[in-house]
Amino acid sequence: MLGKRTIKGRIAFVIAVAALVAFSLLPFAQILSTSLKHQFDWGNPSLIPQKLNLEAYKELMGLTEVQKVEIPAAIQKILDNPNLPQDKKDAIAAKYTANDNLFPFGKYMLNSVIFSVGAAAISLILAVMGAYAISRLRFKGQTVIQRSVLFVYMVGGVLLMVPLYQMAMNAGLASTMWGSAICIFLIYIVQTLPVGMYMLGNYFRGIPFALEEAAMMDGCSRKEAIITVVLPLSLPMLATVFIYCFIIGWNEYLFASVFLKQYPEFHTLPLALQELFVSKNAIWDRIMAASMLTLAPIVVCFLLASRFMKGGQTEGGVKG
Amino acid sequence: MTPLERAEARFGWKLVAPTILVLSLLIIYPLVYNIYLSFFDVQLNGDKTFVGFANYTKLLTNSAYYSAIGTTGLYLFGTVAGTTLLGLAMALLLKEPFKGRGLVNAAIMLPYVAPVISVVFGWQFLFDPISGVVNYVFVDVLGLWSERANLIGDPDSALWVVVIFDVWKHAPIAYMLILSKLVSISKDQYEAASIDGYGPIGRFFHVTLPELHFVLATVILLRLIWNLNRFEDVYLLAPNVETLPIFTYYQAFTGVIDQGLAAATSVIQLGVLCVFIWFYIKKVMKW
Repeated sequence: MLGKRTIKGRIAFVIAVAALVAFSLLPFAQILSTSLKHQFDWGNPSLIPQKLNLEAYKELMGLTEVQKVEIPAAIQKILDNPNLPQDKKDAIAAKYTANDNLFPFGKYMLNSVIFSVGAAAISLILAVMGAYAISRLRFKGQTVIQRSVLFVYMVGGVLLMVPLYQMAMNAGLASTMWGSAICIFLIYIVQTLPVGMYMLGNYFRGIPFALEEAAMMDGCSRKEAIITVVLPLSLPMLATVFIYCFIIGWNEYLFASVFLKQYPEFHTLPLALQELFVSKNAIWDRIMAASMLTLAPIVVCFLLASRFMKGGQTEGGVKG
Repeated sequence: MTPLERAEARFGWKLVAPTILVLSLLIIYPLVYNIYLSFFDVQLNGDKTFVGFANYTKLLTNSAYYSAIGTTGLYLFGTVAGTTLLGLAMALLLKEPFKGRGLVNAAIMLPYVAPVISVVFGWQFLFDPISGVVNYVFVDVLGLWSERANLIGDPDSALWVVVIFDVWKHAPIAYMLILSKLVSISKDQYEAASIDGYGPIGRFFHVTLPELHFVLATVILLRLIWNLNRFEDVYLLAPNVETLPIFTYYQAFTGVIDQGLAAATSVIQLGVLCVFIWFYIKKVMKW
């Protein structure tokens, strides 16, 4: 350890901490910097853009004006043909004016929000019920359930992708758009439920039982005691668990790629970003700006959650 | 059993029932179904023909499978060792309170919570052969390499980029676990060791390390468990690094699709995972 009492020790300490922080933040700085640079500036190793470029952000947020595409003269001639039915004309015109370069970021973000917030909310409700039962109530089979939850929690998605896909296929869900969306929703619930239960179970155990007992003495039923005593006491932890589950869904890529790849309508942000990256429309500033906007909600959530997470209460229960 | 106890048990079952239902339907059942599938030739559209152990023999005679095992071994070794050592170093460095520690902690934790999909692009840019700062530093500033290299394009070097990326991303969680144990070691033990004549290094080996023994084992086991099945971090940063999960994904969903073979791979992997989890529950958890 570095002795902090001497000046030398103190300087070494500051340098070590600074190096650590720089190592942690460098990739983020790079993303931010490139998202704000013009193409001529990419090769410049400095993180500060020579000239600020906000185009990528404007484009992603839909602030740029829609470019008017010129219709080729030959096509215009066909369109002017009075014998052609109107609907055919519209179809042709749409084909030539469609702006394929556009990346509907807002839509993808909305998809991501719906999937991850929805799944996290249901997961939280189920986790509260389950965690209370295994941490507070005595019944046969409790230990087995507890162990199974832990086991299930550690099974990675990779081991489940083939059987889940086949099950969805057999049930006729994987071949339709809405069916696939339902699959993803259910999968995000089971991916987050065990973590939530684990974190909440540990937390509930720390709440003195006497508090509930007192409420029940006053004539509350057990259910009322949970709602009026236990849940209000656990609010910070409930928020943390919710945010945690939300982050897992927001970051998920594997199952989204398995189930939703063929339905661009339902692409989530990770899937859409990867598709953009491998497509011909990949431009660094656009990708980096999209990355930045995908990151932002997580950073905000994390800063909110970290207030409650002081002292590593979550112990070994953290996934990743 | 008194009526009161019986009521409590009934209430308990009622509360866990939805969870049990969901988890058995979407995790336990698929794991069993996966074993069943591994004995079939499975098409993407759901058609199956029984083939017995053919998938397993095909897998065990496939050299690509062994190379995936090798890659996974290196990946696991690199990430487990790297994460544990860096996490330990971070915990030792930041053990004592100082001004601004909260901010430093937040900065350190950021890689762990950030979406993989976003940060991989940052890393890809850093290692980009033309614009990347890594090539700039090693070629133009330090002159250690004679020419710019595409480190992520070449699978051999990409593996190590992935390992560094993973250590960067997961050292924070190792740091948290180790730190929470480290701050609980009492000052008396260090004082006693000082009186016995141990210097700072001696104290580290005679007090700190034995006390951390347990938490270090936890960190190592957890890293093995999570990283054995790690998909996103590897696939999104460098799809050419074929660890077992990526190998399975390619079998199941790309090119010549063979879901039965993918199922067989997963079954074997589940077996290995179970050994790790058994160790973890037996040795580490008091759950």
